[in-house]
Amino acid sequence: MNALRAALLRGARATPRPGGAARGSRPGDGFAFSQLRAYVEGDDPRRIDHAATARVGTVQTRVYLEETRLVLAAVVDESGSMGVGRKRPLARAADEAVRAWFGALEGADLAVRVVDDRLVRDRRAAPLVRAANPFCFSTALAIALRAVPRGASLLAVADGFDLPDDELLARAGLRFDATVLLARDPWRDELPLRGFVRLRDAESGRVRQIFAGSRTRARYGAASRARETALHARFRSAGWRVGTLDERDGRASLLRAFGLPA
Amino acid sequence: MTLTHPLWLVAGVALAAAFLWLMRLGSRRAAASALAYSDLAFFETATGTRWNPALLIALACAVGIVALGAALASPRFVATLPMRGVAVVLCVDTSGSMRATDVAPSRSEAAAAAVRAFVDAVPDGTRLGIVAFSSGAGVVAPLSDDKDALRDAIGRIPPPNGGTAIGDALVIAARQLPPSGRRAIVLITDGVNNLGSDPAQVAPQIGAAGIEIDTIGIGTNDSGQFIPGTDQTASIDEDGLRQIAAAGRGTYARADDAGTLRSHLAALAASTTRVRRRIDASLPLAVGGGAVVILALVGGMLAGRFP
Repeated sequence: MNALRAALLRGARATPRPGGAARGSRPGDGFAFSQLRAYVEGDDPRRIDHAATARVGTVQTRVYLEETRLVLAAVVDESGSMGVGRKRPLARAADEAVRAWFGALEGADLAVRVVDDRLVRDRRAAPLVRAANPFCFSTALAIALRAVPRGASLLAVADGFDLPDDELLARAGLRFDATVLLARDPWRDELPLRGFVRLRDAESGRVRQIFAGSRTRARYGAASRARETALHARFRSAGWRVGTLDERDGRASLLRAFGLPA
Repeated sequence: MTLTHPLWLVAGVALAAAFLWLMRLGSRRAAASALAYSDLAFFETATGTRWNPALLIALACAVGIVALGAALASPRFVATLPMRGVAVVLCVDTSGSMRATDVAPSRSEAAAAAVRAFVDAVPDGTRLGIVAFSSGAGVVAPLSDDKDALRDAIGRIPPPNGGTAIGDALVIAARQLPPSGRRAIVLITDGVNNLGSDPAQVAPQIGAAGIEIDTIGIGTNDSGQFIPGTDQTASIDEDGLRQIAAAGRGTYARADDAGTLRSHLAALAASTTRVRRRIDASLPLAVGGGAVVILALVGGMLAGRFP
């Protein structure tokens, strides 16, 4: 089984649902083997794998996950601000993350990608489709809340410059197993600017000439880190799983968000 | 202010305008190669960037260019500047006629107040002395630039009494003054010399030594008022005072009241201690403008990517 899918299944059970609401997973064909692990008190003795126990020398238990038909939904920020990056655009990493996300689909799982004002349900098209209109996180999330089934796993990839309000985030966190990959500011740790520099706003096109001295760089680094911390806290308080999208590797960023090795 | 070659100033302004326009043009072209950033508003907030230093540098350059143009236009203006080494002796009449009250509260008190105003009005560093005269003349305060000491000395001016020895006062005042430099005697009197040296003879000698003599006649002539305690009428020898002033290449002024007296002395404080000079501002403008342009351009280029 795909490790991400297994993590989603485990996460679905581990994630406490606010207000006692139940996650609406859909019943599948039964149980699927997930992994072997050391026996712990309370394990069902019927799950003990004797062959593995003989090989390892300690009692091993088979872990099964309930076979569930997952609904994987994605909302991806494709705005101009995702086109920036230190070595390559953040959008490339976002693409990798989305491909890895939909790569977790198996069997009768469903794919849903919110693009512009519509839903793309085709499993092959979902990771590849591109938006034609400017991205609006609030609109995309509102569409997902209306059209994506309750209990679905939702992945949002964004840079956090245009976020929905807290109420919308909380509703999504309640309705879905929601995960957000927040793009890390490529210049967070070091602003590679010296002296007079012209900056162009990636979305509005506004150009501003600034003077980047050591004080500017120090201030920027502190503000960028504070912003990242605040964004993470905001999504976590809304019940989202939070990860950081690193421009170098989108897939690894996604796996790290689920606590999986890259 | 006058400009010898005003067209240079016009050229400087035009050049500065052209410079700013070219900067703006270059800035627009360079905008295409600007570094893309996710959210400029966040950057500005995060770094506290409110103003554009490049714009300030460009404006400094433009100001420098205008200054250079102005320097070539040879601007000249007349300025009143304080003189150094000025020495002035105030001769204050303390004759009995100064008791007259036609100048409120009395001529002597009005004169003392005016002397105080004179001391306050002269620039720091000016040396002042006070000579009081009636039947004779005596130094109340020797030449000093200590204004506090001079103010204290005003309180020591003797009360009005006796005759009027203007000539003696002029002689003693002239002795107080240094042999060279800008020197002046300000004579405050109600006027009729009746004792001692003849001022008509003394004044030309003092004037010939390069000492300016300014005279102020205090009191109302032909007012019919008597000097308190006497049967003499309060009058002024205006012709005599004019002659003294003329001999000392100074001015004569008449003060009918305390306000006029103060204003006359304030005017004398300015005219005797300050000088009107015609100043050519070309060199400072050229040096200042050139320095601004060079510093702005070099600083901008050292900082990188300017313009």
